[in-house]
Amino acid sequence: MDEQFDFKKKYRNILIILMTGGILVSLAVILISKPGASRIWANVLLNNQYFIGLSLGAAFFLAVHRVAQSGWHTLLQRLPDAMTTFLPVAFILMLLIYFGIHNLYSWTDKNLSDKVIEGKRAWLNIPFFFARLVFYFAGWIALTSMIRKNSNTLMTSSDLKYHNRKILFSGLFLVFYGITVSASSWDWIMSLDAHWYSTLFGWYVLIGMFVTSLAFITLLIWFLKRLGYLKYIRPDHIHDMAILIFAFSIFWTYQWYAQYELIWYGHLPEETSYYITRLHHFKIIFFINLGINFSVPFFGLITINSKRQIGWVAIIAAIVLMGHWIDYWLMIMPATAGDKAGIGVLEVCMTLFYASLFIFIVLRSLSTGPLVIKNDPYIEESLNYES
Amino acid sequence: MLQSPLRTPLIEGKKTYGSITSDILNPMMNKAGKFWYLGMTIAGFAMLFGVFMIFWTVWQGIGTWGENRTVGWAFEITTFVWWIGIGHAGTFISAILLLFRQKWRNSINRSAEAMTIFAVICAALFPLIHLGRPLLTFFIFPYPNTRGLWVNFNSPLVWDVFAISTYFTISLVFWYVGLIPDIGTLRDKISKGLKKNIYNFLSFGWKGSARDWHRHEITSIMLAAIATPLVLSVHSIVSMDFASSIVPGWHTTIFPPYFVAGAIFSGFAMVQTLLIITRKAMGLEAYITESHVENMNKILIATGSIVALAYMTEMFMAWYSGVEYEHYAFMNRATGPYWWAYMIMIGCNVVSSQLLWIKKLRKSLVFTFFLSIVINIGMWFERFVIIVTSLHRDYLTSSWTMYKPTIVEFGLLIGTLGIFFTAFLLFIRIFPVISIFEVKSIMKTGDQHQYETESSHEK
Amino acid sequence: MLQAVRKLLDNKETITDVLSPFPVHGLDETLSIKRSRIPVGGFIFGALGAILAFGFQAWVFTVSYPLIIGGKPFFSIPTFIPITFEVTVLFAGLSMVTAFLIRSRLKPDISFKPLDERITDDRFVILVDTADKELTLNRVKSLLSGIHTLEIR
Repeated sequence: MDEQFDFKKKYRNILIILMTGGILVSLAVILISKPGASRIWANVLLNNQYFIGLSLGAAFFLAVHRVAQSGWHTLLQRLPDAMTTFLPVAFILMLLIYFGIHNLYSWTDKNLSDKVIEGKRAWLNIPFFFARLVFYFAGWIALTSMIRKNSNTLMTSSDLKYHNRKILFSGLFLVFYGITVSASSWDWIMSLDAHWYSTLFGWYVLIGMFVTSLAFITLLIWFLKRLGYLKYIRPDHIHDMAILIFAFSIFWTYQWYAQYELIWYGHLPEETSYYITRLHHFKIIFFINLGINFSVPFFGLITINSKRQIGWVAIIAAIVLMGHWIDYWLMIMPATAGDKAGIGVLEVCMTLFYASLFIFIVLRSLSTGPLVIKNDPYIEESLNYES
Repeated sequence: MLQSPLRTPLIEGKKTYGSITSDILNPMMNKAGKFWYLGMTIAGFAMLFGVFMIFWTVWQGIGTWGENRTVGWAFEITTFVWWIGIGHAGTFISAILLLFRQKWRNSINRSAEAMTIFAVICAALFPLIHLGRPLLTFFIFPYPNTRGLWVNFNSPLVWDVFAISTYFTISLVFWYVGLIPDIGTLRDKISKGLKKNIYNFLSFGWKGSARDWHRHEITSIMLAAIATPLVLSVHSIVSMDFASSIVPGWHTTIFPPYFVAGAIFSGFAMVQTLLIITRKAMGLEAYITESHVENMNKILIATGSIVALAYMTEMFMAWYSGVEYEHYAFMNRATGPYWWAYMIMIGCNVVSSQLLWIKKLRKSLVFTFFLSIVINIGMWFERFVIIVTSLHRDYLTSSWTMYKPTIVEFGLLIGTLGIFFTAFLLFIRIFPVISIFEVKSIMKTGDQHQYETESSHEK
Repeated sequence: MLQAVRKLLDNKETITDVLSPFPVHGLDETLSIKRSRIPVGGFIFGALGAILAFGFQAWVFTVSYPLIIGGKPFFSIPTFIPITFEVTVLFAGLSMVTAFLIRSRLKPDISFKPLDERITDDRFVILVDTADKELTLNRVKSLLSGIHTLEIR
C-alpha cells in the first residue's frame, strides 16, 4: 500500500532518447522536405491540443468521480493526478503558437477584407486570444494543483477537511472546465475555419478529451501492473474503466453523428464547407476516424469477459488513443496545411516527442509519492470493490 | 460490500426483510386517505377538462388552436417535448444509475419508471390530436398500401414515431419485468379474492428461484444497457425535429445533447415533486431518505449547469456566426415581444437551480419541492421560447406574426397534467411504489444497523 | 444462507433450487449457475433489427418509391441511422424479455400456487433433491445443525 513508483534511470533515458530523437528527426524532415510553415505549426497545435486534452480529461475524471462520491476509483487517483502536472508545460508550448499564429489562423491577417471575419474581430484578435489563453491555463493549473495538493496532504494526514476541500475544488474545476473547454476549443480549433461555427463543437472536443484520458489511464495501469505495482487493482476495477471507455466512445460517436447529420441535413453553405473539405479531400481518413473510434471500442469491449482482462483492454485503449489523434488531425490539418497535409515522418516524430515528454512528466510526478492515497475515506471501498 | 463511513445510510432505522415488505405494501393495501381522494378529485377534474378539450379539438378542428402562419407549432409541441423530457428521468434513474452502480436509486426507480410511462402517454396524445384528421393517424406508420406510398423516412417527424414507440415499449417492458417479483410478493400477501387472482395472473408464476433471479438480473442489466442509448437517442431525435430545419434559433448542432440534459433536468424535478409528497403520504421516509433527495438535487444542479452552459454557447455562437438572422433571433428572444417568457426561462432554469450549490438549500425538502415546480415551469417556457420566438420572426419580415394561445390549448396542457397525476395516484394504490426486492437486496449495505455490528447471519 | 448452501454442496447433496425474496449476491457462483445467454440472443436480434430497418429504408427510398426530398440523395445513409438504431434497440429489448420469460417458464396463470407464501417476503428455501426422503432428511439435519434454520422438511 505504501509502494512508490521508482522512476528508474533506464526509463528516464529511454524517454529522453525518444524525445531528442523525435525533435531531431522532425528538424531534419523540416529542413529536407520543407513541408511548409502551416503544416509544421499545425503539428504543434495538434499535439498541444491532444496532450492538453489528456491532462484536462484526467482532471475531469477525478473531479466527476469525487463530486459523485464514487468509491471504486479511489485507488487510482494518483494516476490522473499525475497527468495533470503536464499543464504548466503545455502552457509554455501553447505560448509558442504566437510565433506561428499567422500560419495557422487566417483571421490574424489584418489586411483580410472579409466581412464575416471583420464582424468577429472583437473576439478574434491576437491580444484577446492570448489573454484568454492565459486565463484558461491560470484556472486549469490553479484548480488542478489545489486538488493535487489536497490529495497529497491526505497521504499523511487523515483530516477530513482535505477531502472536503478536494470536493470543493473538484466542483469549481467542473464549472470552470465546462466553460473553458468550450471556449478554448472555439479559440484554438474552431477558428481555424474562420467562417465556420458549430455550437456542439466544444462538447464534442470535451468528450474526445475524456475518452483519450480514460484510455491513457488504462494504459498506465497496464504498464504499472506489468512492472509489478498496483497489485490491488483487480479485474473489477478494470471492468469499470472498460465500461467507461465503451460508453463514452459510443457517446463520442453520437456527438459526431449529431454534428454531421444536422449540418448535412440543413445543407447551409456556411456550415457544410467544413465537411466538404474533409469528406472530399480526406475521405479515407474521415471514415477511418469514424470507424476506429466507434467500432473498435464497441465490438472490442462489448462482452463482459473482454472488459475484465487488462491486456485486451490495454490494446483497445491504445487503438482508441491513436484513433482520437486522427480525430484531432482531421479537425486541424485540412484547415491549416490543406493540400500539404499528410501523416508522414514529421507527424510521427513530433507526436513521439510530445508523447515521450508527456509520459516523462507523468511518471516523474507519480514517483514523488506513494501510489495510493492511504487516508482517503473511500479507500476501503475501493480495495474491496466487486463488480 | 464494504461501505465508507462517509456514506449516509440508504435505509434508515433497523429493518428486517419482513418489515420492508410490510412498510411498502401496507400503505397501498390499507384504505386510501383523505388526501388521496382529494388529489384524485382535482386530477380527475383536470383530466375531464382536458378530455373535453381533446374532443373539442377533434370535433371543431385545429382552428380552435392559436396556431397560424408562420407559427405553425406552439403550445402543443411545447407540451409534447416537455412531457417526453420529464419521462427521461425515469429511464435515467432505472438504467443509467443502475449501470453506474448507484445503490441509492433502488428505492426511487419504480415510481420514476412509472412516471416515465405516464409522461410518455401524455406526450403521445399530441401527435394523435394535432393532425387535421386524427382518424388517419395510421398514415404515420409504414404499411403496404394500394397507393404504393411509404412514409418519409428522411423526416425527423417519422424518426419521432419510431423513437417514441420504441421508448414507450422498452420502458413499459423494463418497468414490468422489474415489477414481476414484487407482484409475486403482493400475490402472496393477499389471502384470497379477486385481487389475489388478478395479482396471481400478473405475477407470471414468479417463485423466486435462483436461476430465475439470475436471468432476471441479467435481463434487467441488459435492458438498462440498451435503455441508456435509447434515452439519449429519443430526446435527440425530438430535438432534431427543430435542429434539422434551417430556421435561426432552431438550426444548431448543440440541440441533441442539450435537449437530453434539459430533459433529465426537468424529469428529475418532476421526480422530486412526486416523491417528496409520496414519501410523506405513504410513510416511506425511511426508504426515500433526505440523502436521496439531496442526491437528486446534485443531479439537478449538474444538468441545470449544462443547460446554462448551452444557453451561453448558443448566445455566443449566434454572435460569432456573423449571420444577421442568428443575431436577430437571439436579440428578439431577450428583447422582443416574448421577452417575458425568456426571463421566466432564465430565472426558473438557471438562477433557481444554481441556488442548489448552497448545501442547506440542497438538503431542505421544502425548498426542493418548490424549486422542482419552478424548474418544470422554466423548462416548459424554454421549449416555448425556442419554438415560438424562432417561428414568429424568422427570415422574411413580411411574414412576421404574433401567437396567442387559446383556452383550448391551455385546457390540453391542464388535461395532460390531470391524466398524469390521475395515473400516478392510481399507480400508488395498485403497485408497490418502491421496488421491494431491490431494497431488500441493498439492506445489508444500506441499513443503518450495519454500521453498528459486522456480524451477519442468514437463514 | 450461503453458508448452508456451501455446506450442503460440499457434502455432495444435490440442490435443485434455492428460492429467495431477492437475488442473493454470490449465490450464482456457489450454485455454479452458468451465465445466461440472454444477452447473446439480444445482440443477435438487435443486429437483425438493424439490418431489417436499414435495408427496408434503403429499399423504400431507392427501389420502391424514390422521391427527391429536400435535394437529398436517394440512398441517404445519415437519415437512415435514427430509425435503424431505434429498431435495433426494440428488437434487442423485446427478444431478451421474451427469452427471459420463456426460459424461466413465466406466464400469466391464475392457477399458480407458490411453494410457500413467505418466500417472496423474507424466507429463503433450499430445495434438495433426493431419492430417499428419510435418509436425506437426517443427513441434512445433521449437516445444518450449526447453522440457524427455521424448518427442515
